Amino acid sequence: MKLWLKILCAVLLFYALLSSFYHPLAPGGLTVDIEKLVPGANTFVYSGYNTHFKDHSNDGLQFFVSSGSHYYPTEIIEVIDNNHAKVNVVLPDTLPSEEIAFYANTPTDGTVYIMKPMDISAFVFHQNYTNGSVPVKVANDQHQNFGYPFQVIIFESIRNLMWHVPMWFTMFVIMFISFIQSIHVLSATGRENMLDSSMIYVQSGIHDRKASASAETGLIFCILGLITGSIWARFTWGAWWTNDPQLNGAMVVFLMYVAYFILRNSVNDEEKRARLAAIFNIFAFVLLVVLLMVMPRFAEGLHPGKSGNPAFSSYDLDSSLRMVFYPAVFGFILLGYWIYNLRLRIKILESNEEI
Amino acid sequence: MTAFKELLKKEIRLELRQKHALAGVGMYVLATVFVCYLSLETLESQRLWGGLIWITGLFTAFNAMQKTFQQEGGGTQLYLYTLASARSVILSKALYNALLVSVLNTASLMFFILFFGEKPFADADLSQFVLGLLLGSTGLGFTLTFISGLAYKSGSGVGLVAILGFPVIIPLLITIVRFTTGALLGLTWLENGLNLLVLVILNASSLLLSLLLFPYLWRD
Repeated sequence: MKLWLKILCAVLLFYALLSSFYHPLAPGGLTVDIEKLVPGANTFVYSGYNTHFKDHSNDGLQFFVSSGSHYYPTEIIEVIDNNHAKVNVVLPDTLPSEEIAFYANTPTDGTVYIMKPMDISAFVFHQNYTNGSVPVKVANDQHQNFGYPFQVIIFESIRNLMWHVPMWFTMFVIMFISFIQSIHVLSATGRENMLDSSMIYVQSGIHDRKASASAETGLIFCILGLITGSIWARFTWGAWWTNDPQLNGAMVVFLMYVAYFILRNSVNDEEKRARLAAIFNIFAFVLLVVLLMVMPRFAEGLHPGKSGNPAFSSYDLDSSLRMVFYPAVFGFILLGYWIYNLRLRIKILESNEEI
Repeated sequence: MTAFKELLKKEIRLELRQKHALAGVGMYVLATVFVCYLSLETLESQRLWGGLIWITGLFTAFNAMQKTFQQEGGGTQLYLYTLASARSVILSKALYNALLVSVLNTASLMFFILFFGEKPFADADLSQFVLGLLLGSTGLGFTLTFISGLAYKSGSGVGLVAILGFPVIIPLLITIVRFTTGALLGLTWLENGLNLLVLVILNASSLLLSLLLFPYLWRD
């Protein structure tokens, strides 16, 4: 592996590591401490996340309660700190829509909002009844600072995108190397007209070492992907494991490659081991593609990229995430390739020792 | 092609000649379903049906497939190698095993109906269910034939069939359980079509890979 590739790998990973933890999340609305809205006065505390209520308590801080596309102004009682403010809203008896949301507006953060299930049984709903509402311009995503997108449920764990997803990309690339090397093993043994049979032996031996070294590296990244994914699942879905096609597929891939190494260990003759392992590896890789790329699209699940979508949905495509995510992917792929090279060199040294 | 036909005939003749092996597997199916009946007594949920039928199907296939390469010693294989191409050998074995597993799974379905009644079929789409049973059995037959060949060549016996076979068979198993359960619940062809598509992809890819890779496995 070239030196500049190693340096590039280190720089990319260093950048990804730092920026994945350094940048704050974009501002967002967290919660309101109220369960039931009634006609007339409602007082509640609005909690934001990374917002700047206090800094703008005198210029431009506004709160609204919306019903459908109509907004009701509030009176700010007290700004507690940057993330908390106590406000009061006076609502009429009749609202235009049952969809209630709570908006906060500051010049720095733009508009943030909270959707929360509310007890609204005290109201009458009538589509055309818009009494008391004011026109408001909702500024979407107008925050000025660099920040990762604020997502309810995911929150700070969005940073895991830069760790979890590159593991699978890397595993896929490394397993593809293993697949190609396995094909080389078979085509080396398949050459009937080769003059010297010992040449076949040497050829298939080299490719076999490459195939097994890359499968080992790929398996490491598979395990890391499972671990980071499991931690992420615990914090966002509430369980270490959920019955999701992508997760189950990943576990099957892990089992297949463990089986690959068991097969390798159970055959003593080197040439035969190379051949059998290559055959199983090709079989396993085709199933890997079916498992991780075809089957999840046809089934419903929690994992992003389900039900016909590709793996990148709207929030993944946020430019702030892209700026860190792509370098992280390339960095990890280079790291994987580096580790594969080292494993291969160790294997070659070991086999020389045996002779 | 003639070699393939003769080999298929040979497989069937061999099976009929060793009736004790077939009877053994049949007995295994009956015992499994009976144990299910003893432990569950009633079985009305379609989901449980779909799952249990294929758990039984999976282990039946493993059992039936063990002897497919084991019964021929090294000498017989060498003889076959001189007579026919590797592809016709694996094709005959795969098709024969697909047939065998289909028959056994049909038997197991009969036993399930015998013990638990036919209530879950009340709103089932029967043509879908039969197609699912057939495609699932052929998929199990194709994949496990190849895997047992691999395990046989590695020379480490029957244990390796399970180790190599289970991870490889899980995708098929998930899909077939989903498809069969969908058929029992009465989904339309359109709703269940994607499962069918995956099933066909898995069947085709395992047969294709067997045909492509077996010649390399066969030579020594």
